[in-house]
Amino acid sequence: MSSITIQAIGVVVLLILGYSFGQLAERRHYKRILKREEETRHLPVVASRYPPEDEGFQQVLVCGNVVIASDYFKGFLAGLINIFGGRVTPFESLLDRARRESVLRVKARALELDARYIFNIKFETSRIATGRLAAMEVMAYGTALIATENKVANEV
Amino acid sequence: MKYENRRPVEGVNTTRVHPLKQFAQLLIGAVLLIIVLAFVLQISGSALAKKIPFSFEVAVMDKLDVEFGNPEEHPEIVAYLNELAQKLISRMPVPDGMDVVVHYSPEPVFNAFATVGGNLMFYQGLLSRMPDENTLAMVMAHEISHILHRDPVASLGGGVASTIALLGLTGSAGTGLAGNVLNSAGVLTSIQFTRKMEQAADEQAITAVNGLYGHVNGAAYLFELFSSKRGDGGSQPVWLERFTSTHPRDTDRIESIGERAMLEGWRTDGALTPLPAGFKSWL
Repeated sequence: MSSITIQAIGVVVLLILGYSFGQLAERRHYKRILKREEETRHLPVVASRYPPEDEGFQQVLVCGNVVIASDYFKGFLAGLINIFGGRVTPFESLLDRARRESVLRVKARALELDARYIFNIKFETSRIATGRLAAMEVMAYGTALIATENKVANEV
Repeated sequence: MKYENRRPVEGVNTTRVHPLKQFAQLLIGAVLLIIVLAFVLQISGSALAKKIPFSFEVAVMDKLDVEFGNPEEHPEIVAYLNELAQKLISRMPVPDGMDVVVHYSPEPVFNAFATVGGNLMFYQGLLSRMPDENTLAMVMAHEISHILHRDPVASLGGGVASTIALLGLTGSAGTGLAGNVLNSAGVLTSIQFTRKMEQAADEQAITAVNGLYGHVNGAAYLFELFSSKRGDGGSQPVWLERFTSTHPRDTDRIESIGERAMLEGWRTDGALTPLPAGFKSWL
């Protein structure tokens, strides 16, 4: 068999593996994200820099970061899109998952602290792999507002 | 103030498109684009390269000072090969000023090739298997035909033009994975192009061999030799071999010689001219 044939077979196998495992991982991840988002909906995440002034809060920085990798199929498809231009759709869902997962991790940390709100939420994204391996990190961070003891006492 | 996170609408940040459908559309588009681009550039590149005067080709090769074996070490074989080349050239429409120089290399490679500047290279591996002069004349005439058709410079011009363009295109293909595959598509089309040159050279060569010997006996044997050397494709299906190989299939070439001889009324059973007595010792 010529080297071109072998190379072509290799690419097809990797594409099939990348597509099947990539899609499976994505579907499962979205399922988990939706479930956890529902479970943590009682904890509001707010983009505003100004916390409510009607009560006192203890403020704690909370972070959540996630590294998410692309698969062979997504990378190949993105390469093709690069020729013609347009939305890089395979990476849209990747970034969407990473952003939502990072917020969920911020929320998990804030819930551990018994926070009532997360304010001033921000995102940082960076590409952490080069060449054939595509992976990105998304970090979300914000200020967890934890109701102070005396305030709680006043309410009672 | 009351804060709450309402459930957002799903799919705002992602585009709803089936990845396989998008993949198929883009792949077909990209492959078509590359095939068309490679084809256009090959044709225009080789057409432009053929406009380069032959004397310029020779001058460039002289300047580059490329080593083609050592003629002093094997004077007899070099003299004999050049003499045979001249005999064939007299039967071919080679224009004045297009000088062909035959070189010899003692390496055991089963091959011969024509390159820019009217240079032919014959390897010991090929010459040692030549049964008679007619078969050798067929190889020689085939390589001279390449020079006559300006194939080396055309191939170089077309190859350079399409490679630069494809590198520019596939180099921007991001991950490089898609680039590799697309490059292969480009290579396949460029091979397809050189095979046409081979067919034209075969036709020119068989005419010259018939002109020199009065028959085409021994000419087809060359491809039988190639065929036995290579095993003629082996496990590859015929269509794939036809598409991926630079040369026409050996059996196709043998058939086309037979057809041509029948069409032109050439004899296929004439007496074979033996190689000179000391031929084997010259190698």
